[in-house]
Amino acid sequence: MRAAIEAAAEGLNVAVVSKVYPVRSHSVAAQGGINAAIKDTDSWENHMFDTVKGSDYLGDQDAIEILCKEAPRDIMELERMGAVFSRDPSGNIAQRPFGGAGYPRTCYLADRTGHGLLHLMYEQLLKHEVFIYDEWHVARLVVEDNVVRGIIAIELRGGKLHRLHSKAVIIATGGYGRVFHTTTNALSSTGDGMGLALNAGLELMDMEFVQFHPTTLKRTGILITEGARGEGGYLLNSLGERFMANYAPTVKELASRDVVSRAEKTEIDQGRGVNGCVLLDLRHLGADRINERLPQIRELAINFAGVDPLTEPIPIRPGAHYSMGGIMTDVDGATKIKGLYAAGESACVSVHGANRLGGNSLLEAVVFGRRAGAAAARRCLACAAPEFPDSALRDSAHDIADILRRDNGETASALRQEMTLVMEEHCGVFRDSEKLIAGLAKIRELKQRYGKVSLSDKGDYFNSELLAVLELGHMLDVAESIAAGAVARKESRGAHYRTDFPRRDDREWLKHTVVRKEDSELKISYKDVNISRYEPKERTY
Amino acid sequence: MALLRYAYYPGCASHEITKEANETTIVVAARLGIELVDMPKANCCGAGLLTDYDYPLSLALNARIFAEAESLGLDIMTICSTCLMVMNTANRDLRNSPELLEKTNAILARTGLRYGGNVKIKQLLWVLAGDYGIGNLKKQVVKPLNWIKAAPFYGCHSLRPSDALGFDDPMKPWSLEAVIEALGAESVDFKGKTKCCGFQIDLVDEETAAKMTATRLLDGKGKGANCFVTPCPFCHINLDNYQSLAEKAASKKISMPIFHLAQLVGLALGLSSGEMKLSRHLVSPEKIIK
Amino acid sequence: MKIKFKIKRYNPAEGEPAEPYFQAYTLDVEEGMSVLDALLKIADEQDTTLSFRRSCRSSICGSCAVNINGFARLSCATQVMPEYAKMGDMVIEPLSNHVPLKDLIVDFNPFWSRIEKVAPYLTPTSRRARRRGDVPARENDGARVTARDEEAIDKSQRCIMCGCCNSECNALEIDDRYIGPAALAKAWRLVGDVREGNSRKRLERLSEEHGMWNCVRCVHCTQYCPKSVSPLKQIESLRSRAMKEGVLDNPGAKHVEAMADSVKRVGRLDEAAMTFRTLGFLRSLGMIPFGLKMERHGKMPKPLLFPQIENIAEVRDIYEEAERLEKEDRERKKG
Ligand SMILES: Cc1cc2nc3c(=O)[nH]c(=O)nc-3n(C[C@H](O)[C@H](O)[C@H](O)COP(=O)(O)OP(=O)(O)OC[C@H]3O[C@@H](n4cnc5c(N)ncnc54)[C@H](O)[C@@H]3O)c2cc1C
Ligand code: SF4
Ligand code: SF4
Repeated sequence: MRAAIEAAAEGLNVAVVSKVYPVRSHSVAAQGGINAAIKDTDSWENHMFDTVKGSDYLGDQDAIEILCKEAPRDIMELERMGAVFSRDPSGNIAQRPFGGAGYPRTCYLADRTGHGLLHLMYEQLLKHEVFIYDEWHVARLVVEDNVVRGIIAIELRGGKLHRLHSKAVIIATGGYGRVFHTTTNALSSTGDGMGLALNAGLELMDMEFVQFHPTTLKRTGILITEGARGEGGYLLNSLGERFMANYAPTVKELASRDVVSRAEKTEIDQGRGVNGCVLLDLRHLGADRINERLPQIRELAINFAGVDPLTEPIPIRPGAHYSMGGIMTDVDGATKIKGLYAAGESACVSVHGANRLGGNSLLEAVVFGRRAGAAAARRCLACAAPEFPDSALRDSAHDIADILRRDNGETASALRQEMTLVMEEHCGVFRDSEKLIAGLAKIRELKQRYGKVSLSDKGDYFNSELLAVLELGHMLDVAESIAAGAVARKESRGAHYRTDFPRRDDREWLKHTVVRKEDSELKISYKDVNISRYEPKERTY
Repeated sequence: MALLRYAYYPGCASHEITKEANETTIVVAARLGIELVDMPKANCCGAGLLTDYDYPLSLALNARIFAEAESLGLDIMTICSTCLMVMNTANRDLRNSPELLEKTNAILARTGLRYGGNVKIKQLLWVLAGDYGIGNLKKQVVKPLNWIKAAPFYGCHSLRPSDALGFDDPMKPWSLEAVIEALGAESVDFKGKTKCCGFQIDLVDEETAAKMTATRLLDGKGKGANCFVTPCPFCHINLDNYQSLAEKAASKKISMPIFHLAQLVGLALGLSSGEMKLSRHLVSPEKIIK
Repeated sequence: MKIKFKIKRYNPAEGEPAEPYFQAYTLDVEEGMSVLDALLKIADEQDTTLSFRRSCRSSICGSCAVNINGFARLSCATQVMPEYAKMGDMVIEPLSNHVPLKDLIVDFNPFWSRIEKVAPYLTPTSRRARRRGDVPARENDGARVTARDEEAIDKSQRCIMCGCCNSECNALEIDDRYIGPAALAKAWRLVGDVREGNSRKRLERLSEEHGMWNCVRCVHCTQYCPKSVSPLKQIESLRSRAMKEGVLDNPGAKHVEAMADSVKRVGRLDEAAMTFRTLGFLRSLGMIPFGLKMERHGKMPKPLLFPQIENIAEVRDIYEEAERLEKEDRERKKG
């Protein structure tokens, strides 16, 4: 949406196509905040260093420099558009500390930062009279001769296929958390854009890097913010021990996300879990502190786990949270297909490298969304509309008719269930060669079976089942890319942890993984990391 | 049972337009042994309109009412749901925020009044179903109203906002039904029982108000009610006084008698229709009174 | 525990005209399961054709509002066990006051157009903004909105546009041109923002027919909003701002003005004077035949006949004090 606003401000005719209404996008769930060095005592260089280090030196430093330099201007711009960032007592924008940052530089709107910013973007869409095609699901990117021609989308309401002919297309479809069984992501975070891109011939980068958040609610995977540990919450195993003391003796619960996630997984795997979870205990903080500082957490625990943290510990476990990888782009969101751009979580510029810092992804979506919008606008002003091939609509219609025609096959939901379990088991917090190879094989087997999936709803109106089939197709592609990248990368870096190669290996692996599809087979290649200011060092906190 | 005593706040409507509600409440309370202490100084709660005018002022005016009850050492009993809602909402805000209470008392200071935050506000329905008790009420019934099929019309303000009112459950209210059944009558369930009668916009948008009143009446009638009973005089004004407007809006004859809560209770206690001032109603309930 | 769900189904593709019907599903429910979990489970395991909206499943995206046992709730934030224990039933229907499209999915376009009607974006006028110092002098200075300014609009900012309030709204039930609580909460988000440059114009627009004065104060919106936005409170804020800014030429504002006046004069509501002032002389004449009938039953309000309350001087003092303190406060803010 940030991209659309930028392009519309240039006077272009812009439309946003989204399978959910724009304010329902998953950015709405971001709680913590958005980073920017806006104080005199902080600097963009500090922000950059923290981000580079956080990325385990895999982030591209030219991109990170842009991100950190432009962050303050974007924050001010958001505020001028109408956001009200929370204030400090003197009336300036308040900032809170976040994991992996050497300075409290996370701006926030209470504990609803993403919600506030997403609604702001929606307001600006209306202000700029951007056309909204809501509940339209993009089924295909139309590309010919390496130039994008537009898209084909299904209008969910009546099931009609539409062609949208355009000079530029920006993919901003968010993450793929739903590929995993336990995830903080929305039901709609199915990585569609990455799947679409792969099928259009684009390259995905660093897909094996999946951030696992250590505190997600039992059963639903709903995020319990890092703040719960920041406020002094304990992590306990079934024996009632604060087990983090054995993994990170000094910082204990406040160790970084990957470390805590691995510790929890170890406890659970070694039989010291409680029904597949460990416990987050806040009781010793007392009712006042919990009600004042963590009201939303209490509400979530009561509503979604039936547990009141005032009287009971909260069952939690690690869950897939963020997709560091995505569609490979340059710092203007451009891909190698002309007129096709990507931004936000679906893109990989790459600013997060092997591990993302909290508060940097909303920032990425805003900064690179704006840049992609501007770049796309420049292109649109400079070129004539390329022709839209007639066959595209026919082909899409054909594909869908194909799916609808099938009978007596497995259901998409059964297959999806299996896929998420495979990914969790084989590509999760701990990985090793044996598990990964077996996992990749299973995903490929699922892809075979996917071809025979059938549905019982053959109607045109809000066919959620058809949507589920289309999403599953993308998810399987994404899953395969993750697994393939992970099999190949024989080191541990950031969120990618191999028990058989537990160390980072800069000599061999300081490079991006790039996958693309050739004749429906994935091909892997590698790309150098841009290193300008900060040479790789060991990452310790 | 301990003697029940309340600072009695009938509300503006029942001083004049629906004074039968006031008068019959006094008779019924006396019969049940509930003592009602007058509040001659009490001002209007604002009926929500003063909330629209100026919230701090509205709080202060309500605090003035509470201060009077506090000086009597009594909780308030009203017979108006809107007063109940307005006063309880103000009371909630004042009790939740010491800062707000202080500010409000600063406005009161010139009058020499002060509110300490210790008053509870109830309405007749709550007193009957709560403090007095359904069981005790049943024992007082001498003339069970077993031919009456009453639609329990809560309206809005005796149930919501529940965080300020708290007595009954807006999703599954029970108190009015329980009272009706205690009187030996049958309670008729209908979806509209917790909805709005239209009163608040009678003077702003007559057409919508009349349609709304008609919808509620027809809803209850459709479910087989032969009368409505309401704890709120404003609901009574719309359902009874303005029933003819509702009939016009719906182009249908409705002819639904509407009781104030106290009247129905009074009849079951053996009081006469004269004592219950039934002749004051525009839609006569006489025909269903035996 | 096995629980029976009765779900309202509707599919316009099934025959002309398609009729909605209830379908029952029995489901094994475990502790902590939400209604959304249950719907997902039914769709996964029993009936893949069942359609409903969902996304974040953590009560922040606003997609999954449905009618549960008669009241609008987010299906993700409503737990099955306690709900069943309380209501003894599990009836799931599409939101009220909205047109169903398929099963539990309703047409949300009217909802969005209502939001669009209030021009839901900040329109600072640069001059005013500059005078207030809202345009940051330095890059890192931020727009000057104090914590107190933020508090005034805090609740209205929490709205997730789920439509629960509009679904429950009694005014909307009867008058489908009514702007509705969600849009009004949004309107206060803007009118109440110190940086907004067009508050008065907005208030004038909102005071038109089917606008903010058409709320019947049924309190449903505030009761059922899952995010504690308290739309009614925001409506009250809009109204009293309009009173202060002198946007008075409409029945709603006149009604309130008459009330404030009546309480100041006699300490009570003076129904006759209010009818007269709100409707104006000619329209209240139109009520005469009707009034005669009321008169016969002694129900015609008689202006000034009933006595003033005791100590009316106190009430007037309170008016003056409230006004004085408010003025002081305003001046302090300016200074
Ligand atoms: C619980 C949680 C908390 C977080 N907290 C923070 C935080 O505090 N700070 C921070 O910086 N980051 C945080 N993040 C990460 C951050 O929120 C996301 O990375 C970011 O919001 C992604 O934005 P986006 O615009 O790329 O994607 P999204 O907001 O997910 O939007 C994707 C859009 O694409 C549409 N779409 C997808 N597929 C299709 C299709 N096939 N056809 C049509 N439309 C489609 C969707 O409908 C949606 O509108 C958090 C993430 C989660 C899950
Ligand atoms: S005000 Fe509340 S109920 Fe209404 S749309 Fe917003 S969040 Fe939903
Ligand atoms: S209080 Fe007003 S806006 Fe809210 S639901 Fe009732 S009529 Fe609608």
